[in-house]
Amino acid sequence: MTKAASPPAVEYQAALDAVDLPTTPTVDSDWIMVEEGFTLAREHELESLFAIGNGYAGSRGSLAEGSALSAPATSVAGVYDSAPGSVPGLVMVADWTRLSATIDGNRLRLDQGHNLEHRRILDMRQGILWREWRHQDGAGRITRLRELRLASVMDRHLLVQCVTITPENYSGRVSIDAALTGPVALVTSGGTNVAMAVAHRVVDPGGHSIDSTELVDGRQSLEVRLGETYRLDRIVALHTSGDTGEPGAMARTHAERAIEHMTDVISEHRDAWLARWGASDLRIDGDPAAQRALRFAIYHLLSAANPQDDRVSIGARGLSGTGYKGHVFWDTDIFMLPFFMLTYPEAARALVMYRYHTLAAARAKAARLEYRGALYAWESADSGEDVTPPFVIAPDGEIARILTGEQEQHISADVAFGVWSYWRSTGDDRFLIDAGAEILIETARFWASRAEHEEDGRYHIRGVIGPDEYHETVDDNAYTNGMAQWNLEVAQEIADLIAERWPGQWQALSRRLGIEAEEPRGWQRVARDLYTGFDEQAGLFEQFHGYFALEDIDLASFAPRTAPMDVLLGRERIARSKVIKQPDVLMLVYLLWDRMPAEVRKANFEYYEPRCGHGSSLSPAIHALVAARLGDTALAERYFRQAADIDLADNMGNSAGGIHAGALGGLWQAAVFGFAGLRLTEDGPEHHPNLPASWRSLSMRFQWRGRWHELTLPEGEGRNCRTGNDP
Amino acid sequence: MSEPVILVPLDGTEQALAALPVAKVLAEIDRAALHILYVGEREPPGAELRDRLAHGTPVLDGLTIYPRVGTPAAQILQVAREMNPRLIVMCKHSGAERGKMLGRTAMKVLHDAPCPMVLVPPERGAMPWRLQHVLVPHDGTPTTSAALQGATQLADRARAELLVAHVTDIRAAPTEPGSLTTPSYVDQPQHEWPAWSSEFVERLACICPLGHLHVRVFLAHGDPAAEILRLSEKQSTDLIVLAWRGRWEVPRAGILKDIMREARCPILVVRA
Repeated sequence: MTKAASPPAVEYQAALDAVDLPTTPTVDSDWIMVEEGFTLAREHELESLFAIGNGYAGSRGSLAEGSALSAPATSVAGVYDSAPGSVPGLVMVADWTRLSATIDGNRLRLDQGHNLEHRRILDMRQGILWREWRHQDGAGRITRLRELRLASVMDRHLLVQCVTITPENYSGRVSIDAALTGPVALVTSGGTNVAMAVAHRVVDPGGHSIDSTELVDGRQSLEVRLGETYRLDRIVALHTSGDTGEPGAMARTHAERAIEHMTDVISEHRDAWLARWGASDLRIDGDPAAQRALRFAIYHLLSAANPQDDRVSIGARGLSGTGYKGHVFWDTDIFMLPFFMLTYPEAARALVMYRYHTLAAARAKAARLEYRGALYAWESADSGEDVTPPFVIAPDGEIARILTGEQEQHISADVAFGVWSYWRSTGDDRFLIDAGAEILIETARFWASRAEHEEDGRYHIRGVIGPDEYHETVDDNAYTNGMAQWNLEVAQEIADLIAERWPGQWQALSRRLGIEAEEPRGWQRVARDLYTGFDEQAGLFEQFHGYFALEDIDLASFAPRTAPMDVLLGRERIARSKVIKQPDVLMLVYLLWDRMPAEVRKANFEYYEPRCGHGSSLSPAIHALVAARLGDTALAERYFRQAADIDLADNMGNSAGGIHAGALGGLWQAAVFGFAGLRLTEDGPEHHPNLPASWRSLSMRFQWRGRWHELTLPEGEGRNCRTGNDP
Repeated sequence: MSEPVILVPLDGTEQALAALPVAKVLAEIDRAALHILYVGEREPPGAELRDRLAHGTPVLDGLTIYPRVGTPAAQILQVAREMNPRLIVMCKHSGAERGKMLGRTAMKVLHDAPCPMVLVPPERGAMPWRLQHVLVPHDGTPTTSAALQGATQLADRARAELLVAHVTDIRAAPTEPGSLTTPSYVDQPQHEWPAWSSEFVERLACICPLGHLHVRVFLAHGDPAAEILRLSEKQSTDLIVLAWRGRWEVPRAGILKDIMREARCPILVVRA
């Protein structure tokens, strides 16, 4: 195994004028997403794809001057509110990106005049959204505007925008309106205060700040001279009552100070992104599309993460949009967490600690349903209470009841799996003792009380929904039972481990949780006798009781298709069929890979893969991963492209409400655990690669139990990765 | 600014009068003048003409009749070019049989009309008409959104409800940039469907302002014409608005033709 090649060099301008933007865009096409021109109806998608974020706050990449389809939105992670009678959603604060220029009375707009150039660039390497625009108005005046926008990852309370304006063929009067729109201070119904403060300055062509009292509210008029460049800097500081006792005062002070060090704020942010990429990048040689897709995934995952706040988690759409109301699903624990565990363990710790902080609500949910232990919310917000909407108006106009909040109980095992994976990957014993063990024990207790001992001598879990949500209220879902079994066994093992290694802490924990000496043995018994639906003869898991007797529908006969199968067949028909929405048994096969013989993995893939309709964005990546592990690289590659296209090839509005953070995490896993074949065993990391033919190499760094490993494929053999220092 | 005009060609048959109740309501909504056009082989005296067209009823009282001599379709189009009407409202055909798509004259006018056209099924007869529910089938493309502007303004002025129906073409998504069709992935319907409906309306509205219209979105799949007709019946729609790209030869305009043949309510055809 050889040392990873250095990432492509980023080119910078040799020298910048004092009035120029403080840095320049990355030019290497592997690091940037570029949108040329302007198609009004695509704006919502582009706003999601071009969102910036730092895990504390996130802003959509809306056009500064707005358009008929602009939906600018800035949210603060973990700050939710709700109108009476509705479920809580992320709160949107004032639009700090709004900025328009008026030249001699004519406002610059994309839909008026002539756009000589218009380009937006998501600079993933530097964490900056760029815009370049040359506009000619009806009078022939040509104006060049350049903008950078970022959410600082060095100081997460700061949001930055710089805009330069150059009159190319005229001198005249330009009015800039950069007033904030929307609430700069708000209090949620839960009592959280959010405050935003802004500081501006205008820099003249000589690089000097222009004194202006006018600028306080964001409006400034300038006499501009032909060919000279002027710059507006805007820094916004955001604070909440979760950070400080006086968020308003803190925000004002913070913004005023930061504007004096604008260049430093930007360069520190850029350096922080470069350093983060040093740890989290995944380099593909030979497949630029895959490279860009993976960097896009990593960029958005990193943009949503905040290791400094362990009371918030990452919603299904990150901080890139209002979709899913910012709710947290199993997407975080199963699909996103592995990326953070291996490349950004501090951020991973915050995510698993969020589950610890919401354990009380999970206990309350279990108690409400008369079970013991902890049943996590299918959809979770700030408190951990279940915030799943109970109804939906279906596209045929009918009102449909939503059962996932009550029945999709595998979430508790998913949370436990994330907790255990984090601990195993990082060796963070402190976390295990202080928080992780309690989650593992309380989720095991839930399963022990949830499973019912029946006449056949087996335990059964009835009336659930598995990952395949096309089939509701099913008995003995293979994924749910399999993961519950794992949860029960691991909880018992962890109990034994802590009792042996840290007897004092075990005694304290036992006392606090009221664990009787025999209780862990009871979990083991339930696990042993839990019905799994495994058919020894066929080597297949039955997805749930009665699944094998359902109607078989040949999905190939619907190909090619652009609509999900439940839309085509209807809810009732699909529930009577074997068509599944996403990997269910195969999800179990993936997560518990080492527990299953090779022939069982293969048999189940061959059975369930043709029956999957991929109605979930989480589906293609897992199929790619499992297919790659089974050696079917061509099929894996097809699914990988499908997964990559979920956000990037979107011309159908899927991403209007935000990027699919879970699918992006899945894409990363398909590359790392699928194509690279990375396996994390008790004895350390191993790899069994099956790279696509076009991938000349894959290289990455990852952290395992506190040490950085460098993986470069396909060169080298063996189970031990090269270890090294911090990147 | 001159008063808007709605042009109603009548051919002297009783069936043709089915266009009048519809045209009168539309004229009221648009505060437009209703002009009746008759084209014959010779120009008849005024009183005789009114009697011949009205079949002894007072339906044409107070309306101006413009007689022309010549070929009906050519003259209707000529007058339409001269008057620049907001709409042409005419009966689909003056035959008695149901299920007939378009008469020869209506088809020729539809082909070359310089303005949108409302085609009324003759079986409506003299039944009163109202405009409360407007059904707009939409393929999700910006081109269709742009074509619908006049129709949505009409619905807005009528304070009607707009029912936007998207029938999925499962084999191919529109390739026009900015198109919105059925989502490929519906992870959680409780979030996805409201978001999709809202996105569909917002994409429509950014190109075709919806004013104060109350809008409902429906998604269906299957045979588009059958689904649109089914929805029209179920929702008791008063008008179906169809955006037509101007091609008529087989296999083009299949949906338009099927709906034209079977719809029980008037159809407003706008050019995309």
